Amino acid sequence: MRIPRAVITAAGRNQRALPLQTVVDRDGRAKAVLDILIEEAIAAGAEEVAIVVAPGDEARYAETVGAHAARLAFIPQPEPRGYGDAVLCARDFVGQEAFLHLVGDHLYIGGPDHSCARELVALATAEGCSVSAVQATREHLLPAFGVVGGRRVPGRQDLYVVEAVVEKPTPTEAEMRLLVPGLRAGHYLCFFGMHVLTPAVMDILAAMPGNAATGRAASLSEALAILATREKYLALEERTRRYDLGDRYGLLTAQLALALSGQDRENVLARLLEMLAQRETASAGRTG
Amino acid sequence: MSGELIRIITAHDESTRNRSLDAWCRTASASELLDECASLESFRKRSGNLYEQVRALFFLYAIHRFHLPARLASGPDGQGRIPYLGHAHLLQRRFEESIQVFLGAQAADGPSAGLSSALAEAYHELGFQTLADQVRRSVRSVRGNQWMFRIGHPMDQPLRIRPELREPSGEGLFPILREATPVRMDLSHSAWSDIFFLGMDFPEGARVLNVSIDLAVHGRDPQPRPPVEAYLRVIDEPVLRLVSVDLNTVAEITTVAEVFDYARDYLGLLKAAVIASGLVPPGMEGSGERLDGPNGLLTRLVGPGRGLELVSNVNGIPKGSRLAVSTNLLASLITCCMRATGQAGTLTGQLTEPERRLVAARAILGEWLAGSGGGWQDSGGVWPDMKLITGVAAGPDDPEHGVSRGRLLPQHHIFTRDEITEDTRRKLQDSLILFHGGMAQNVGPILQQVTEKYLLRSEVEWRARQDAIALLREIETLLHAGDVRGIGAATTRNFMGPIQAIIPRATTLFTERLIERAQAAFGPDFWGFWMLGGASGGGMGLIVDPRRREAAKAALPELLGRAKRELEQALPFAMEPVVYDFAINTRGTWGELVTGAAALMPAGYYTLTTPALLRRDPGQLSPGRRLELDRFAAACRVDPALAGMVQTLFDRVMPRAGAAAGAGQDLQAVLDELGFDRAQHEQIRADLRQGRIGLAHNRLPASTEITDVRAGDVAHSDALPDAASLRAEGEAALRAGAVAVVTLAAGVGSRWTEGAGVVKAINPFVKLGGRHRTFLEIHLAKSRRIGQAAGSWLPHLITTSYLTNGAIRDFLDQHGDYRYPGPLRLSPGRAVGLRIVPMARDLRFAWEEQPQQLLDERQQKMRESVHAALINWARATGEGSDYVDNVPLQCLHPVGHWFEIPNLLRNGVLAGLLRERPALKTLMLHNVDAIGADVDPIVLGWHLRSGATLNVEVIARQIEDRGGGLARIDDRVRLVEGLALPGEEDEFQLSYYNSNTFWIDLDRLLAVFGLTRADLDHELRVAEAIRALAARMPTYITLKDVKKRWGYGQEDVFPVAQFEKLWGDMTALPEVETGYIVVPRRRGQNLKDVAQLDGWLRDGSAAYVETLCAWGEA
Repeated sequence: MRIPRAVITAAGRNQRALPLQTVVDRDGRAKAVLDILIEEAIAAGAEEVAIVVAPGDEARYAETVGAHAARLAFIPQPEPRGYGDAVLCARDFVGQEAFLHLVGDHLYIGGPDHSCARELVALATAEGCSVSAVQATREHLLPAFGVVGGRRVPGRQDLYVVEAVVEKPTPTEAEMRLLVPGLRAGHYLCFFGMHVLTPAVMDILAAMPGNAATGRAASLSEALAILATREKYLALEERTRRYDLGDRYGLLTAQLALALSGQDRENVLARLLEMLAQRETASAGRTG
Repeated sequence: MSGELIRIITAHDESTRNRSLDAWCRTASASELLDECASLESFRKRSGNLYEQVRALFFLYAIHRFHLPARLASGPDGQGRIPYLGHAHLLQRRFEESIQVFLGAQAADGPSAGLSSALAEAYHELGFQTLADQVRRSVRSVRGNQWMFRIGHPMDQPLRIRPELREPSGEGLFPILREATPVRMDLSHSAWSDIFFLGMDFPEGARVLNVSIDLAVHGRDPQPRPPVEAYLRVIDEPVLRLVSVDLNTVAEITTVAEVFDYARDYLGLLKAAVIASGLVPPGMEGSGERLDGPNGLLTRLVGPGRGLELVSNVNGIPKGSRLAVSTNLLASLITCCMRATGQAGTLTGQLTEPERRLVAARAILGEWLAGSGGGWQDSGGVWPDMKLITGVAAGPDDPEHGVSRGRLLPQHHIFTRDEITEDTRRKLQDSLILFHGGMAQNVGPILQQVTEKYLLRSEVEWRARQDAIALLREIETLLHAGDVRGIGAATTRNFMGPIQAIIPRATTLFTERLIERAQAAFGPDFWGFWMLGGASGGGMGLIVDPRRREAAKAALPELLGRAKRELEQALPFAMEPVVYDFAINTRGTWGELVTGAAALMPAGYYTLTTPALLRRDPGQLSPGRRLELDRFAAACRVDPALAGMVQTLFDRVMPRAGAAAGAGQDLQAVLDELGFDRAQHEQIRADLRQGRIGLAHNRLPASTEITDVRAGDVAHSDALPDAASLRAEGEAALRAGAVAVVTLAAGVGSRWTEGAGVVKAINPFVKLGGRHRTFLEIHLAKSRRIGQAAGSWLPHLITTSYLTNGAIRDFLDQHGDYRYPGPLRLSPGRAVGLRIVPMARDLRFAWEEQPQQLLDERQQKMRESVHAALINWARATGEGSDYVDNVPLQCLHPVGHWFEIPNLLRNGVLAGLLRERPALKTLMLHNVDAIGADVDPIVLGWHLRSGATLNVEVIARQIEDRGGGLARIDDRVRLVEGLALPGEEDEFQLSYYNSNTFWIDLDRLLAVFGLTRADLDHELRVAEAIRALAARMPTYITLKDVKKRWGYGQEDVFPVAQFEKLWGDMTALPEVETGYIVVPRRRGQNLKDVAQLDGWLRDGSAAYVETLCAWGEA
């Protein structure tokens, strides 16, 4: 199985600015978040990368990530019909081949030589099927994620056969349908925002009716739930940390994490300590 | 050969496994039984299988309770005393430790009936504890329930209220989620096979035909509708507002702790629903967190500044309907909360099958949390229509696998229209009349007894169970065939046969009278009787020819009313009988989302909440509240269903003058009529308030030397020397008319009906000789037999009080004095007390300082919550004030049985009898519940020969004999009340318990009072003598439970303080020469508690009493 393309979704109407934010990467270079994501995709073997954007955002994005222009395609999502629809917009782009998919508002930070996307692509290539990156997550966070249920692949601690997918389940439903043997009590496998998907996902998304009342298309989780019943579908448990830039202080936390795992680690740590020490001294001065 | 019983327990083939323990024990000797006990004891400890352990525990219990004591010869004094340490372990629920202590005593002192009674109790408790623990583990381990036990902090709450409920509509009102749920009707009476333990032990036998029904009260409601409703909405105040429209209670809760305080108010069921649905997960108990505030649970659930309101509404269906109203209400509330938080897939309409199962599991969890519990069919109203519910064998994926044979949760099969046709359903609806007879009974002990009997495979009950299973299959076949008349015959056979064989108390005289009269009234059109649930007398059904149904419905209220009036003093009735209209519900629980201007609560909600809102400054009301009141006012003007609401509200805001004062005036009138001594009452009240008297002051000084009696202090009735001549002396006295019986019946026997105010003497509590018999009838039957044998009818005197006199008089008139041929006189009491709201310190003394039986974890929490609420009640009402907030007769109390004997002297009854029977010399005095006591000629002869003033019958103490006994106190042998013992352990060194049966030498007794026979005609002289002696008798302050009834069959129980003087203290007077005789238990035991009845029937005591009786029927 070849995985020549990657799709990054960045069309969410309330997160359009996030991928354009500049952070300092591990090597001390200032870069847009989107740059980092594209580089991750390229490092994983993607020859072309599509970015699904809100109409009118193409120019701003192109300007930010000009260095990779040759490999980039911008695909507008005409109506804000949700995440599933955004992925579906890239249907023609991916054609009949499997593709790597990342969300534009997350940063993935692993060890120095570890790339989550590369690992995912290697596994999908070897297994010849869709693979989603997942992370064991405590149940109180369930309202924020798509969750998979399944069983461990014999002989592997970090690989699961996906049997069910539910978007933002209640803990009750999760416990009844999504318990995975081998995880700690109250933990579930939640999506990580990174997948390698076969083109069958696009067919499923295209065929799903969506919600007439809200005008939104079917969610990617709903499509993946069907995918799990049709073909082999694996989930890889990631030890890498993922940072949701849309969270409160999300960008700041991601930047700190990047800095602390890169060459400027000592410098950043020293500055943090200095800042804390100054606060303590000032506070002691006030109360003393 | 030892180990035979283990082979029965572990047998793979059914015929061996189901062998009856009783049958095996019948031919075994005492030493064989003891060997088997030793084997079972070590087996139960090494077996890893729950059901083997539990069956072994029940076997051990039954051997010690029913088989061993009869085979043990009564030993020398002191042997078999029950070690206090074992009892203390029992109180603390350390059952294993208590068993080891009792077994140690058995090894050291040899086996005895007393030790066996203690071992039986410990094994019994441990058996049920083991079962309850297993149900608890299963409930917690049901998938979908587990997570709730892990959530300990508001920030961990993963649930969110669905967006549809979070935004007000255009009119500004938040949408309301309304759940309407039918109740369930057991179509066959499942012979209690749906008890969790039984379904888990024998899933094949757990089988129930269950119908979801809508109800209406005939003549009151226009048409049947789902009787229970739950409402949920978001509100614009950060509180959890719980409202029970049916129980008239509102609470606004802001702390997690209050949610777990179930008994604080009438909102326990709503709180259980809030917890079991995960809104406030059970794992948060004890977290000390708040619901409001930025980090509060409500903020997490529904957003800052907002709260939730949950409302329950039962459409006037009385308690005790046997239709599982409360379980279905709980299920309805849970469903509503689960829909609101997305735990059910849809917000409206029906639930899916997995969702129903989860709701059922959560309802079980809720019942467990609130310390109650029914059967697994009870949440049947969640499902639609007619269904078969069956137990399921535990499979490898079930948490019960390898632990119990069956699963906790059953499976439901909804009958299709092919299986039961539309026509049959209509015929069934047209033939069946449902009604509530008005009786309220505690069925809790019944569930335990059934469990025990089934697990023991007791012969009669196990056979009856097979019959009941066969009858259920027959009813299924008849349903398929559409033969409703046949169904009527089958349900009647079920009631008359298996059900009563398993639990004799399932029937009542009231029920049987009804069936008899309905049969007579409707002739061949009466097709059958239908028993619903635990015990009859409450919810029941008749099946009649559909053509006669309307006529039967019209006639039924009169029929019920008449039977109730005849028996209302004798049986516990909580309300007037009610006839229902019903319809089969085909939807099951059903959710609707009400939006816009229609988003209003049920009318009763506004009747309840509006008066308080109107009293508040409108500026203090939240905008949502103001808007809602505005919309409600608008609806009142146009909605015909709300016609009359303005008047209702006005009456609520301004209660009519006089209504509240009425009860107080009635009470005063009764007090005046009964010659209430206000001065004495005021003195007692003042002493109580100032702490001069109280529970703690009942006790003898700690310096008192209390020891057990010595060998020569008591005689033994079964070892009296020269018994033949004693008998001859006794018989001669009987022939000469020298003896009379005095039955003490002034008290109502509050333990017997748990404070229901029923007159125990005339309670038809057991069927003997083929009929229901009252305590009085049994006593008269024993006297009849003695009289017949002696050739002279025994005079029988019954002491009464204001509480019991009228009821006993009427009842005896109704029954022609039970055709008693001898003199039968009532001796009305002359003393009455007014109950007092207890002092908080006395409540604390009783509940906190006195050793109490610790309950199962959840029940204990419930009890602590109840106790806290009752202490608050006492404070709020006024400690030491008169208890007047009840019907007058529940506010008064008899002042102890000491006064009943002097009354005989004072009221002329004894004087009259002496004129007729001048030879009268001996009185045999006994409690109304001393059911085996009779004028035994041998004991009588012994009494006469003793020359003592009093002789007292005592029995060897068993574990349940609490409340004093026979002791040497500062070296005088006398009776001592439990209230007077300084420490609980003192009681456990006393070998004998007082049966309160006294043989009295009349002339010597008169002499104690300073009187002679001639004085009995001088009332004043007698009164003075009584007053003088009364002053020497100790006064005890006691707490009694009293029921207050309200609403539709609701009952509250309050502890009230009263004072008593007790006859046993006569033995403390130095001038009263007293002797003591040990009699067999079957003669001396008193039936104080209905829960004793089953054992009494099974251990041979009832059969013994029957041999003493000569019934009066023609």
